[in-house]
Amino acid sequence: MADGSLTPARSVMKTPQAWINWLSKYGIFLLLVVLVVALSIITPLVRGEQYFLTPRNLTQVMLQGSINGIIALGMTFIITSGGIDLSVGSIVALAGVIAASVMALGSGPWIGLLAAVATGMLCGLFNGFLITRIKLQPFIATLGTMGIFRGLTLILSDGRPIYGFDSAFVDIFSQRVFGEIPLPVIVVALLAVICWLVLAKTRFGKYVIAIGSSEESVMRAGISIRRYKLGIYTFGGVLTGISAALLTARLSSADPTSGTMFELDAIAATVMGGTSLSGGEGTIAGTIVGALIISIIRNALNILNIPSFWQQFVIGAVIIVAVALDQVRRRYAQRVG
Amino acid sequence: MRSPLCEDIGSMVRQDDRAVILEIDNVTKAFGAVQALQSISFNVYKGEIVALVGDNGAGKSTLIKIIAGVHTPTSGTLRVRGALCDFKTPADALQVGIETVYQDLALIDPLDVADNVYLGREVLKKSWLGRVFGVLDRTQMRRATGEALSQLHIKIPAPTMPVSRMSGGQRQAVAIGRAVTWGRQLILLDEPTAALGVEETEQVLLTIEKLRDEYGMTFIVISHNMQNVHRIADRIIVLRQGKHAATLDKYATTPEEIVAYITGAKAQTYESHKDG
Repeated sequence: MADGSLTPARSVMKTPQAWINWLSKYGIFLLLVVLVVALSIITPLVRGEQYFLTPRNLTQVMLQGSINGIIALGMTFIITSGGIDLSVGSIVALAGVIAASVMALGSGPWIGLLAAVATGMLCGLFNGFLITRIKLQPFIATLGTMGIFRGLTLILSDGRPIYGFDSAFVDIFSQRVFGEIPLPVIVVALLAVICWLVLAKTRFGKYVIAIGSSEESVMRAGISIRRYKLGIYTFGGVLTGISAALLTARLSSADPTSGTMFELDAIAATVMGGTSLSGGEGTIAGTIVGALIISIIRNALNILNIPSFWQQFVIGAVIIVAVALDQVRRRYAQRVG
Repeated sequence: MRSPLCEDIGSMVRQDDRAVILEIDNVTKAFGAVQALQSISFNVYKGEIVALVGDNGAGKSTLIKIIAGVHTPTSGTLRVRGALCDFKTPADALQVGIETVYQDLALIDPLDVADNVYLGREVLKKSWLGRVFGVLDRTQMRRATGEALSQLHIKIPAPTMPVSRMSGGQRQAVAIGRAVTWGRQLILLDEPTAALGVEETEQVLLTIEKLRDEYGMTFIVISHNMQNVHRIADRIIVLRQGKHAATLDKYATTPEEIVAYITGAKAQTYESHKDG
């Protein structure tokens, strides 16, 4: 039936529905497997040697995906609640610059981490404030703060990267644990488990889904939407702050222009994973696999010597395909359900 | 103006031993220059079904929303069980025990029955983890939902099924189930059968009647279907152009007469009403 032959109308009605449901649930995992297998075969053919499927390269893929992965975890909560955060890239730069500045002034690594997380938290809180109190659309509010946070970063740093802080900060986050696994990979795994528990098991997670599904209904149930939205954007900010700390440690510096276009990767990982841009549906596992796939795509384009200009092109296309598929699925669900 | 008791004389004989649940006294609502409601007064007694009827724009929805705490009246008072109530938000009305089933049902599609029934009233795990992080005790909520709904004769599929996968009648049952689980005083139903087929409508009407007869629950129902109104309501309150046009006793009226009051073909004076 699935091999393209003509089928009776009745099974045509049923088959695409079943297929689309299956694909929307497990398609992302299938894509991951297909990508890994395909690249393991293509890379030796193109480069004459297996550069892709090596422990060293795969570790690198995970390490590079961890920065985006953590931001995407927060983005998953925000998009599930029916919102969006375009300012994450600027938050990464601001939190990184503030953490590096604090440490350059003589603070220890843990104060640096705290500064990054606190900056992210305040940025998220500010986004939440604009959205809940000034009642701006999340798109407009975070488009504005994308500029504000970036501008603030450039003002504070005078446009120059910040070096010369305690190398202990770099050492802590470049540790390898359990043999060869970089610490950031462990951090993202741990945060993913926490986020999954929060989304699936707690009242906060339930309200995130409920607000994304129908704000009006949540309001009528006597729940303070304002309070929970503030919490959602703050939570996203905290995760972005953690991500900023990891990036600063990995680069041994904080560049005020870093984090540019990070929102693209985070949104791509989230919607590719199966979280619906229309809100009400979110999956943490999907987001993590989505972040991994984006990291693999970037890695593969490098290995295959494809100019890096193509990277953003591909990630942008991924967003469009993922959202288009989600809409097809919804249309089918409506027609059949 | 008349005393609030006058308008209920027609039903007094049957209801004088019942507690007054809701007293609406001289309620007025204006949206800017638009007078949506003008000095509405009536009582609702325990264990009765009051139908609120009227043409589009007659003020039914505005009145329901005032009782549900969505709107605040411009003037006039609301008493629940004799206590003066000043609802500022829907949460206030819920707390007093007034539940509303809105026309759109206000369900959360991706969540299951128990999650919907307990929306805003979640039971948390007793452990410190549960209290600090707000961990849901879903086992407890699902069990209680299953028990409560079956006791109330409300038939729904498994309490673990997302409501998005349910039929219109089942979704209506979940919404009513949620309302009667928490509505200690009064349940407001806004067009409960408008979106349903014949059989599902019958199910919903039977459920409402059973809840009144067996549990003494009190309802205010908005409906455009005069046959249904005449069947389930004990009393019918007709609104016309924001004014209280008539209060009719089920046993002393017909669907045709209700329509006559709605369209204004017939008008009730307070005197003739007193006699009825």
